[in-house]
Amino acid sequence: MTQTIYDNIVYLLSLVGISFGDSIVPKIIIVLFIAILILVEVSLMVMFFTWMERKVLGHIQVRRGPMITGPHGLLQPIVDGIKLLTKEDITPKRADKWLYFIAPLIVFVPSILVFIPMPFGQGAIVSDLPVGILYIMAISAISPVGVLIAGWASDNKYALLGSLRAVAQDISYEIPMVLTVIGVVLITGSLSMQDIVLAQGEKTWFVFLQPLGFIIFLIAAIAEMSRIPFDLHESESEFVAGFFTEYSGMKFAFFFLAEYAHLFGISAIMATLYFGGWQGPLIPGIPVVIMSVGWFTIKVLAIVFFTIWLRGTVPRVRVDQILSIGWKVMIPLALLNLFITGLLVAGGVL
Amino acid sequence: MLLTNPDLGLFVFIIIGAAAVFCSLMVVHAKNIVHSAVYLAGLMIALAAMYVTLNAEFVASIQVLVYVGAVVTLILFAIMLTRRSEVP
Repeated sequence: MTQTIYDNIVYLLSLVGISFGDSIVPKIIIVLFIAILILVEVSLMVMFFTWMERKVLGHIQVRRGPMITGPHGLLQPIVDGIKLLTKEDITPKRADKWLYFIAPLIVFVPSILVFIPMPFGQGAIVSDLPVGILYIMAISAISPVGVLIAGWASDNKYALLGSLRAVAQDISYEIPMVLTVIGVVLITGSLSMQDIVLAQGEKTWFVFLQPLGFIIFLIAAIAEMSRIPFDLHESESEFVAGFFTEYSGMKFAFFFLAEYAHLFGISAIMATLYFGGWQGPLIPGIPVVIMSVGWFTIKVLAIVFFTIWLRGTVPRVRVDQILSIGWKVMIPLALLNLFITGLLVAGGVL
Repeated sequence: MLLTNPDLGLFVFIIIGAAAVFCSLMVVHAKNIVHSAVYLAGLMIALAAMYVTLNAEFVASIQVLVYVGAVVTLILFAIMLTRRSEVP
């Protein structure tokens, strides 16, 4: 039942009359094509998010946001991209050249790899890994290393302080996040993302079964995405721009892309774990694949809209507050949620 | 999917093994301690990739989660919070 994009492409090709036996080259070409497809999908979503963020923030602040390039400024992200590509790429004189070069990649690559077990729709998943959600948590644990390296290699006190803050925040909010995910996994009985979605089709959305878990996950997710109530690593009034102060040009663009890909990734995880993933009412006549991808995209966009809304309305918290909330409130609550869920599952209620 | 092909599987295994050996040598030989820590992260990821070629995805995930996510981050944190006498 768990079809993948690969299976679908092979099926489509066989409809046209192309088939291949054991030869390996066409398989590699298809896999590369899927990789490019995911990269394009993530880039398009990132471009749309940057436009959406400016527009929504603009309307919250009673202005119109970008209006010049394209209808309602829709082409603004492309113009921004060209600007970043043509900017001078500066490396500070005292920077550690090799680490300075590699840090944006260490941050960027995991934020894309997260999408491998992500069910974009029915039959639209790159690979339904049996350890899906655990893999996602493991891969997203790599990027703090890149953040620390970026801050250290820049040889700038603001960058170093910003990176230390960012990583302290990341690792302290990763624990409640993983603990709440265990609640979902307990109910489903499987780590696979596709199984989690299908279980929500049978029961109900897990946001209703795990209300406390959802609230903890939401707060931890906003902290992991470093969105505004918790965006301490780049608080402009304290550090210049956090750990990427010294970066410019294409390297800066990679950090920027990684940040928004991270936003997309965590919103997608939240939609999958708590809002039923690609499940939704189907309209007869439209293929299931297109409808399910549509529902998934709508859910992700709603979550992204919520984070932008928060950015427009909530002030930033202090660094000691954020860490003490993380360790003294979030982790005990997450453990409580896990305890209650475990009791209910063991009692056969859920 | 692709790794079930025996020739390709062996090829991938050799590449990952070479990367793991290179990273572990560099952990010892790097002059800068931060470089050592980064090579250690690379070594852990290479080991995880090796577990994947052996069809042990769970062990690979835990390897990355624990070693890269926690141990290497902690090592880097400790390096950055300690005072160093001279800039290398």
